[in-house]
Amino acid sequence: MTMWERERMQSPRPASPLFWRLNPTVYHLLGSKCSDCGHITYPQTKICHKCGSFNQKDHQLPKTGKVHTFCINWTPPPGLEPPTVNVIVDLDGGGRYVGLITEVANPEEVKIGTKVEMVLRRLLNDSGLDFYGYKFRLVEEA
Amino acid sequence: MSVRGKVAIIGVGLIPFGELFHKGLESMIQEAFMSCVKSVDKGFDPKDIKAAWFGQWSGGGMIGQGSREGTTLGTVLGLRGIPISRLENGCPTGNDVFRNAVLGVASGAYDVVLALGAEKMRDKPGVESLVAAGGGAGGGILGLHPSWMMGMGGPVLQALYATRQMHELGCTMEDFARVAVKNHHNGVACPYAEYRFEVTVERVLSSPVVCWPLHLLDCCPQTDGAACAIVCRADLAKKYTDKPVYVLGSATGVDYKDMWDKENFIEMPATKFAAKMAMDMAGIKPEDVDLAEVHDCFTNTELLNIEDIGFCKKGEAHKLLKEGYWNREDGHKPINPSGGLKAHGHPIAATGLGQICENFWQLREQIEPVRQVKLKKGIALSHNVGGNGFGVSSVNIIGREP
Repeated sequence: MTMWERERMQSPRPASPLFWRLNPTVYHLLGSKCSDCGHITYPQTKICHKCGSFNQKDHQLPKTGKVHTFCINWTPPPGLEPPTVNVIVDLDGGGRYVGLITEVANPEEVKIGTKVEMVLRRLLNDSGLDFYGYKFRLVEEA
Repeated sequence: MSVRGKVAIIGVGLIPFGELFHKGLESMIQEAFMSCVKSVDKGFDPKDIKAAWFGQWSGGGMIGQGSREGTTLGTVLGLRGIPISRLENGCPTGNDVFRNAVLGVASGAYDVVLALGAEKMRDKPGVESLVAAGGGAGGGILGLHPSWMMGMGGPVLQALYATRQMHELGCTMEDFARVAVKNHHNGVACPYAEYRFEVTVERVLSSPVVCWPLHLLDCCPQTDGAACAIVCRADLAKKYTDKPVYVLGSATGVDYKDMWDKENFIEMPATKFAAKMAMDMAGIKPEDVDLAEVHDCFTNTELLNIEDIGFCKKGEAHKLLKEGYWNREDGHKPINPSGGLKAHGHPIAATGLGQICENFWQLREQIEPVRQVKLKKGIALSHNVGGNGFGVSSVNIIGREP
């Protein structure tokens, strides 16, 4: 444990400036869309990652999409139960989001093209603080 | 600026890679440097070195062994007083350190310089190194993406590519396994390699799944090691050796930092950028290269890189592998005759410089006969790619003629 982590543990009111700062990113899924080339960058940016344009507009990511690629990790870092299914998702209407699959009984159900939606879940606990963010759940085909 | 014809390698030094708990960073550095100095045919006085670049990756935030400055080299090699910088640029650190040294000479600033990379990868247990390098469940919010680092790590990054290679390019897990078979076969004969044993496709596929679709034997090991090279002005090279090897092209390319920005998962544009720049500088085409040391941190990565460097069309590497095209003995273009990262090991900053050592020896034909590749044009290429989203790559091309 680092010194600042220890101090934060001892503090009567733990706080995380990082997550406070990232609020629009984490919970509101705010990214940017380039007015020149249309590239969607997430989290927000002032300069387009693709073409370098300074003309960026706020863009809220949609919560649904399809699996672009995935893997089934049997050796995740401490704190996660194996296997985890890591995915990169093509969001409906453009943009990508990277994350973990949740609520899947059998990892083999996940394929390229599988429809998924974001759900708010506890991502991690750091120094007594719970951090929430989005994971992906498989969408039942109608 | 082209470097072709301006810079020569006069000596290289490499220590056998492995799990070297009995050796500290400093002693590895000294061993590599001493063998490098002794390797210079007509003798070499270390006082001729006018500048140095030191590669070390594990000092940074990922493993956090503490930042080493240029003072580490200056002190343990007795080179105080000259400019020495430490450089860290992901997995291409070794090849990028070499590039910086080459530029130091090509610019006219220095006559003789040292490029050295060293790494203690095993002083932290594996599960806490490359895997936790992904941040872990309690890890940081690197890249400011809220869930990016959730359960990420080296195998995950490459498995995300491998899944797409199977889907779009028709690769199979057997194809990935064949890369391990080839490279371990090459590594058996290499005295510097960490894992000197043969494997079969069946053995790779029956090894534990680390991250589907990658098995344990699809992954390179985390390794301790050190490697270095001394480069000098091409017109001074004959003072040190009658058989210098010349730098033809040297480049580093960067692509998007993060996985979610990538346009696709069947190529690594960083490799394409670096390879094209280096080949343009050298004035050569991919077919002019006799042999190549290509980044194979995971078996599927080698297939991607072979294609991205331009040795074959996209989607062809695994088919040519099956036909033996990349084999050391009877292949048309041997890839990783040293055993590659797969068998040789991957001490990040030492990896690229180790590749350059191998290419230097191959081009001078001073290698165990069983390992010697048949030379046609006398040109060899070394390549690394890495970073969080595999967005940085370095390529160096060296040859027998300036």
